[in-house]
Amino acid sequence: MRKSKDRRLKTRIIFFVLLLFTIHCSLFTASNAESPKRIISLAPSITEILFAAGLEDRIVGVTNFCDYPEQAKEKPKIGGIANPSLEAVVSLKPDIVVMTMDGNPREFQQRLDAMGIKTYVFRSHRISELPDGIRKIGIALDEKKMFEDLALRIEQSLDGFNTAKANTSGKMLFVIWPEPLIVAGPGTAINDAINLLGGINIAEDAKGRYPKYSIEEIIRRSPDVIFFGRGKGMDRISRKLLKRLSSVPAVKNKKVFYVSDSLYRLGPRVISGLKELEEHLSKKK
Amino acid sequence: MGQVERNMKLKLFTIILAAMVIFAAALFIGPKFINPFNVNGIEKEILISIRLPRVIVSVLMGMALGASGAVLQGILRNPLADPYILGISSGAALTAVVGIIGGSAFLGIVTIPLLAFIGALITGIFVGAMGWKKGGFWPERLLLAGVGLGFLFSAMLMLIMSISSDEGLRRATLWIFGDLSIADWSVIPYGLVFIAVGFIISISRAKALNALILGDELSHSLGFSPRRERFILFISVGLMTAASVALGGMIGFIGLLIPHVGRFLIGSDSRVLIPVSALGGGMLLCIADLIGKSVLSPMELPAGIVTAIIGAPYFLYLLRRKDVLSI
Repeated sequence: MRKSKDRRLKTRIIFFVLLLFTIHCSLFTASNAESPKRIISLAPSITEILFAAGLEDRIVGVTNFCDYPEQAKEKPKIGGIANPSLEAVVSLKPDIVVMTMDGNPREFQQRLDAMGIKTYVFRSHRISELPDGIRKIGIALDEKKMFEDLALRIEQSLDGFNTAKANTSGKMLFVIWPEPLIVAGPGTAINDAINLLGGINIAEDAKGRYPKYSIEEIIRRSPDVIFFGRGKGMDRISRKLLKRLSSVPAVKNKKVFYVSDSLYRLGPRVISGLKELEEHLSKKK
Repeated sequence: MGQVERNMKLKLFTIILAAMVIFAAALFIGPKFINPFNVNGIEKEILISIRLPRVIVSVLMGMALGASGAVLQGILRNPLADPYILGISSGAALTAVVGIIGGSAFLGIVTIPLLAFIGALITGIFVGAMGWKKGGFWPERLLLAGVGLGFLFSAMLMLIMSISSDEGLRRATLWIFGDLSIADWSVIPYGLVFIAVGFIISISRAKALNALILGDELSHSLGFSPRRERFILFISVGLMTAASVALGGMIGFIGLLIPHVGRFLIGSDSRVLIPVSALGGGMLLCIADLIGKSVLSPMELPAGIVTAIIGAPYFLYLLRRKDVLSI
């Protein structure tokens, strides 16, 4: 009776030790695995984050739309965002592919997984989620320090805006493109930026992040400030829209501003985008 | 007679040879040439898990569309019939796009193809039911039911796409234009089974199809029941079209015009026309996809667009040169 109990205990101990050993082994290999040397970015925002964190030399592939910073244009291209080329990605022999769930096809990740290529999905949408999103990329790429530094820099800059007065800057609208009329809706970095600057986005309750908006609704909600994102031919096309909006306070009081595309991508440039909007808003007073 | 037959055999042989060359070319040329006699590890991976399934999917889709076009033009006795005119593709597109925009992936990578197949099948059954009167299919009723239903589904599709500003929209647009870029092994067995069954049915009823083309009365006197044959052939078309749309979205041109190209080249005997249309469709889609992924590499052009761009001029050239035009 006692003997069998002993034996049972023994086997349990052996089992436990083995278990510990395997756990230890897996931890050991994980922490000692070399951080990925060949990284592919499947989105312009991710490319900007990787560059800002200082991983330029390890980026071996980017999308055709990754145009910032300037050096990103010289990296090998792997196709579009919605239609990256699987073949191009595989032939670059990446250690890890960093992708996003809004834009990149879900099946793409499944295919890469099936071929044993590591992926990491960047899931942040809001400015407030950006620093932690950056930290998580750092963990995935095993370069915590570099990404922690970047996240801290962004957090510090954001702190300056967080002290801004709430709802003191009035109603705003950010027009991405006038024809068709696409504006920045809820859940976008632009919407967050407007809130951080003490404004209210009149398209905040729209369905979808970049909704098609109605001119009638703009007139009804009469924004105090209108921003236009710059782009080819924006001057001419925006003038046409502004003519129809002549009764809106923003147009009457000449509070229509043209700004860069810094806020279009959730990356380190949102800070300069925020500053840009802030400058315009303070100019008026 | 011997001369004509020898001529025909030569033509068939040429077509089959051309098909082989094209399939091999699509496999090894691609955006970057892979030397088949000196393949390294990464190239092997690209060949086996990316290019080969993609070539197979394009060939299967092209064959299904070509063959079902030839059959459908016969059973509807209409040179403008194509597999998409029955609304099957619009039904498939509707369910697939709902899946893409809704972001559903409950079955992983086969989710969207499965949704498309279900949509296609339901639409096919519905069109069949609408076209059924007095114990048989009426070609005109089938056509009109298909066109009507197609309009309804396209409108619903546009409705969904216009109210969704989600990024899934871009993906959905790609899918509608025919997107082979995600083609992989997991869906091929299902596609193969349905297309093979449909193809075998259509080939085995080719004689009956020849009779149907001559008219219901004549086919009666030749010993074929028009109702029964039309029903069987309709099922074969439904299976092939549904499977093809599920594999890679909508590819225009092939189903409508490849059978006509086939008729220009080898005549309108369905026993030869069906396999030749299938091969022609497979070849065309295969070349189109090869060009689409290579010219602007790594940017990929949807195969459906390239198909029409290279196929239409050839079709117009044949139309100008040959004087036969019949089903």
